Amino acid sequence: MTYLLHIFILIGIYVIVAQSLNLISGYTGLLSIAHAGFYGIGAYVAALMVLHFHTNFLLNMACAAVLAGLLGFVVAIPSLRLHGDYFVIATFAFQIIAFSIMNNWVSVTAGPLGLPGIPRPEILGFTFTTHVHFLALVGFFAVLTFLFLNRLVRSPYGRVLRAIREDEVFSQSLGKNVTHFKVSVFIIGAAIASIGGALYAHYITFIDPTSFTINESIFILAIVIIGGSGNLIGSIVGATVLIMVPEFLRFVGMPSSVAANMRQILYGGLLVLFMMFMPEGFVGEYAFKKGER
Amino acid sequence: MTSATLLVVAVSFSIIYSTARFFNFAHGVVYAWGAYFTYLMARVAGMNLGMAIAIAVVGTALLGMGIELAIYKPLRKQKASSLVLLVTSLGVYIVLQNVISLLFGDDTKSIRMWPVREGWNVLGARITPVQVIIIVSAVVLFVAIMLFLKWTNMGKAMRAVASDSELALISGINVNNVILFTFALGSALAGSAGILVSLDVDMTPTMGMRALLMGVVAMIIGGRNSIPGVALGALLLGMAQHLGAWQISSKWQDAIVFVILLIFLLARPQGFLGKKIRTAHV
Repeated sequence: MTYLLHIFILIGIYVIVAQSLNLISGYTGLLSIAHAGFYGIGAYVAALMVLHFHTNFLLNMACAAVLAGLLGFVVAIPSLRLHGDYFVIATFAFQIIAFSIMNNWVSVTAGPLGLPGIPRPEILGFTFTTHVHFLALVGFFAVLTFLFLNRLVRSPYGRVLRAIREDEVFSQSLGKNVTHFKVSVFIIGAAIASIGGALYAHYITFIDPTSFTINESIFILAIVIIGGSGNLIGSIVGATVLIMVPEFLRFVGMPSSVAANMRQILYGGLLVLFMMFMPEGFVGEYAFKKGER
Repeated sequence: MTSATLLVVAVSFSIIYSTARFFNFAHGVVYAWGAYFTYLMARVAGMNLGMAIAIAVVGTALLGMGIELAIYKPLRKQKASSLVLLVTSLGVYIVLQNVISLLFGDDTKSIRMWPVREGWNVLGARITPVQVIIIVSAVVLFVAIMLFLKWTNMGKAMRAVASDSELALISGINVNNVILFTFALGSALAGSAGILVSLDVDMTPTMGMRALLMGVVAMIIGGRNSIPGVALGALLLGMAQHLGAWQISSKWQDAIVFVILLIFLLARPQGFLGKKIRTAHV
């Protein structure tokens, strides 16, 4: 039972993170592989604050979101000048730099040793200790994220995002301030991803840089694409499928050292197959087909 | 040393990028496979090193061709954009890297069978005989590829496809075959670079990603459609890395490289010697 709850909590966290990437890549068409960076920054900010200053969980989360939002702003700047694959490379650079900081700034992040002993969150005197409590907490934030993003993408603001994805120059010619939209969408996406990171840090109670590598960024992107880009329900489906399916490997008696590699092979392979045969994913509305050549 | 192998990686990546027109991330894992094929042949099957290297180079060429035929070519047929191909190549990278981990394990493997010797003193720096062999081989490979592109028919066809694939098609060039050949050549070069590096500093399954990214950065700062530009980029990047390691700390090498890349992407995205790239499409 605890095991099942654990899986659901993980799905909840990835739903939050994947939806925030979906806003950037699926709705606005800015393919980014820097998302594990934002997610990791959220986890590290929350962990460092609670370990050094014993601050409240919600305050940690808010600080993580503000800092990640600022970094989202920085990452968005290249998107104003670069297009298509060159922009992807720029996000790649941010991912590598973020990982390098987590791994090498030993005096603050403890480097590869990681940060152990992160306490479980506490809100108004109530401590979320059991899996059931935590599932409720993650579920709450996942639903909140969904409602917020759902409202956002259905608003006129969201319509402009889709217009930018389909034809940037045309949106500009209609008087839309593309710069403003691209930058703000990155800030929102990064802030939400960091909330997922803060939840992760408080849930696992231990973080180290290996959880936030480039492979993790590709995993989050795979959730968005396999679930369906440009559709929030898609990210829920994608997170559920990509986290549940590898768990079946456990039941066929695969040793855990092999299972970790098999899990990656599985989602890498699924990503390739979906790109080839079903690029719009399970329920997506956009398929990265209208890219520039 | 770093510059020389970086040069080969950057050139091999850039010929695939310019003919097939997308960032092929799977290229990094082909590089790692070069080293692991050699390990497999030399250590597991017990062949002599020269034979093992020859088989490994052919193996990586076949691997590159296999990926192209099974995955990229069908996607190109569907008129997939370069972003689709890029995302797909990320998936291929993840799969092949984990296949290495499964087969060989995550620990460092070595194909060295000779004792580590103290290097010669050249201009105040120490250099080992193996490193000399690596540098010479890398430079020979680079010169060979330059001559190949310049003088052979296939090299000319590759340049034609790189400059305009539709015009090349109209002139009777079989574009798909040229791209297939480019994948074979580029993969063999990447594999060779992987082998050269592994002779000196051994191998891990993730060695490819870092090498690939360095190659990409060298290509971008040099100018993507200009081989001399790429060479210049590789040299500068190799030097910047070592200066950074010397002045700051070797652990910040990656961060330094990518800060340089970001500065270039923002200030001069076409690189030193490249032509201006299009930034807007109507």
